Amino acid sequence: MVQKVVQVKNKLGIHARPALLFVNTAAKFEADVYLGRDNHEVNGKSIMGVMMLAAEMGSKLTITVKGQDEKEAIKALIQLIDNKFNEE
Amino acid sequence: MAVKNNKIKCKYLLKGVPASPGIAISKVFKLKGESISIDPTIVDDSSVDTEVEKFVKAVEKSKSELKSLQSKVVRKVGLENAKIFDVHQLLLEDSVIIEETIHSIKKENKSAEFAFFHIMQKYENTLNGSSTNHFQNRSSDLRDVKRRVIRHIQGDRTDQLNQLSGSAVIVANDLTPSDAVMLERRKVLGFATDLGGRTSHAAIMARSMEVPSVVGLRRIFKLVEEGDRIVIDGNEGKVLIQPDEKTINHYRKLQEKYYDTNRKLDEIRDLKCLTIDGKEIELSANLEFSDEAESVKSHGAKGVGLYRTDYIYLKKKELPTEEEQFQEYRKIVKKISPDPVIIRTMDLGGDKLPNSFLIPPQENPFLGWRAIRISLDRKDIFETQLRAILRASGAGNVKILFPMISGLDEVHECKKALENAKSELQKEGIKYDPDIEIGVIIEVPSAALLADKIAKEVDFLSIGTNDLVQYLLAVDRGNERIAYLYQHLHPAILRMIKQIIMAGHQEGVWVGMCGEMASDPLSTLILVGMDLDEFSVSPIAVPEIKKIIRSTEYREAARIAKKVLQFEKPSEVERFMTKVVRKKFKNLIF
Repeated sequence: MVQKVVQVKNKLGIHARPALLFVNTAAKFEADVYLGRDNHEVNGKSIMGVMMLAAEMGSKLTITVKGQDEKEAIKALIQLIDNKFNEE
Repeated sequence: MAVKNNKIKCKYLLKGVPASPGIAISKVFKLKGESISIDPTIVDDSSVDTEVEKFVKAVEKSKSELKSLQSKVVRKVGLENAKIFDVHQLLLEDSVIIEETIHSIKKENKSAEFAFFHIMQKYENTLNGSSTNHFQNRSSDLRDVKRRVIRHIQGDRTDQLNQLSGSAVIVANDLTPSDAVMLERRKVLGFATDLGGRTSHAAIMARSMEVPSVVGLRRIFKLVEEGDRIVIDGNEGKVLIQPDEKTINHYRKLQEKYYDTNRKLDEIRDLKCLTIDGKEIELSANLEFSDEAESVKSHGAKGVGLYRTDYIYLKKKELPTEEEQFQEYRKIVKKISPDPVIIRTMDLGGDKLPNSFLIPPQENPFLGWRAIRISLDRKDIFETQLRAILRASGAGNVKILFPMISGLDEVHECKKALENAKSELQKEGIKYDPDIEIGVIIEVPSAALLADKIAKEVDFLSIGTNDLVQYLLAVDRGNERIAYLYQHLHPAILRMIKQIIMAGHQEGVWVGMCGEMASDPLSTLILVGMDLDEFSVSPIAVPEIKKIIRSTEYREAARIAKKVLQFEKPSEVERFMTKVVRKKFKNLIF
């Protein structure tokens, strides 16, 4: 299992489009992906789950990945968030 | 609650969020939304499987409908906006929703529509409860998905929009993205909604489809009747219900003017700012807020000739940090790049923030502790700003402009402070433009008289007419009783401007103008004829000024400038210029 805390950097936060990108990226990997905020954790492959986190700019999210390709998966997901979902 | 004033007379006047500019005058078409009737019947065990099947089929139908809608949308609103339908499709594949619904049907014996409605409602409420606007706006995606699926479960809901025969303004509680796409530009002249903000999808799509719209009106759906006369003012965010004839005529004129300006703008935006005989003149725009950068570009300005940084100091009750300033400056610089952004250092005092945490009350604020005088007194504030500007210069083309300079000591001090800031950044290994150009605003008469000496010290001069006129003519521009004396076409002002331009050119630096006079069509030919190199005007004025310059021969402008310099009184200049401009541009100027 790998885990990392990241901060949302894009201005609009994880609204519908970034949630789509996140879920699509997560779906490319075998590993299970979870996304947590405060005490709430959702399935990182469920768009509804990710949208419900309503993660605005500056919020801290914990990405947890379990499975064979967990290292590649978490790297790709961190990169997506760090690149502000290519929004700015 | 009838409304009546000089220009506006109507039954209701509502103020909302301007979502998409333009003016629409038409009749109301009420788009009924959330009133889907949900059948709460508890189904018996034998029908459970039928309900599940009904639900699964409705989801499949919705997905294929979304797919075809998406290809339609790409053509209409572009790939980026169409992405939202990917989100909708993915939501319908989300195991969470599907499983929860099926579970609710099977275990609680709910009807398919009831189960799905309540599960979606739960998620909508969560998003609506979030504190950030963006997320509240996005709950319309969920609502859209909900309505689509339920429509397919119920199987009998014909699209109201298809019933719309003539053209109309759509009034709805809310518009979902797919409603917005169904709107045919031909038929839909505008829309007005109770919900939504500037960042809601419907607002974004309305802008890209150029449909005048006002959102966030709260209670319009309740207040209007089908077929009511309505005016949508997407520029001001106003909606008028049942206006009288006179009001409608007033808005027709505004509408004409708006579209006329837009048309002119389109024609001229990408053309160079050249006189008929090929003299090129820089035409840039004044800017105050970072979100105006778009408007600078869309109006066809070549860069920013005056970026007023004062609002950064007005935003909070404390001084802005270097990082805050840097982020703000860089945003603009990157947007305008490769064209230049001329950043004026803080110009507070005078009429801007006369009494505040920073500036104590003064007897004569315009002649007091203001602008560069504050900066040079409070080097901490000044150097923080210079560092932020220098850092932003690493991201594009930046020049610095110092306001309210009255003599050479101040120029030297500014340069020294700038050199300090540069060497600090150098030491810290932070990127900046070492050859950054600097200029001085010539707005104090003493600086105007010393323009040749100042020009030797800097890379350019910018004439700030608002203060120059006030100081040279000794007229308080805020005092109504003497406002008539405030005239930039005063012969003394014209002489002084001519002198400043000549002094600058004699020392080999370019001379621009950033005051109101630069935006005045009556002054344009005079200034071109006096060899002004750069005009910095409000974005809206750019197309007009460009058009005037493009319709003029430089030789002719020079003759006009020479002629007006002979006049004795402002009224003579004004009368002469009005005649010239009317004759030359009778089709161009409103």
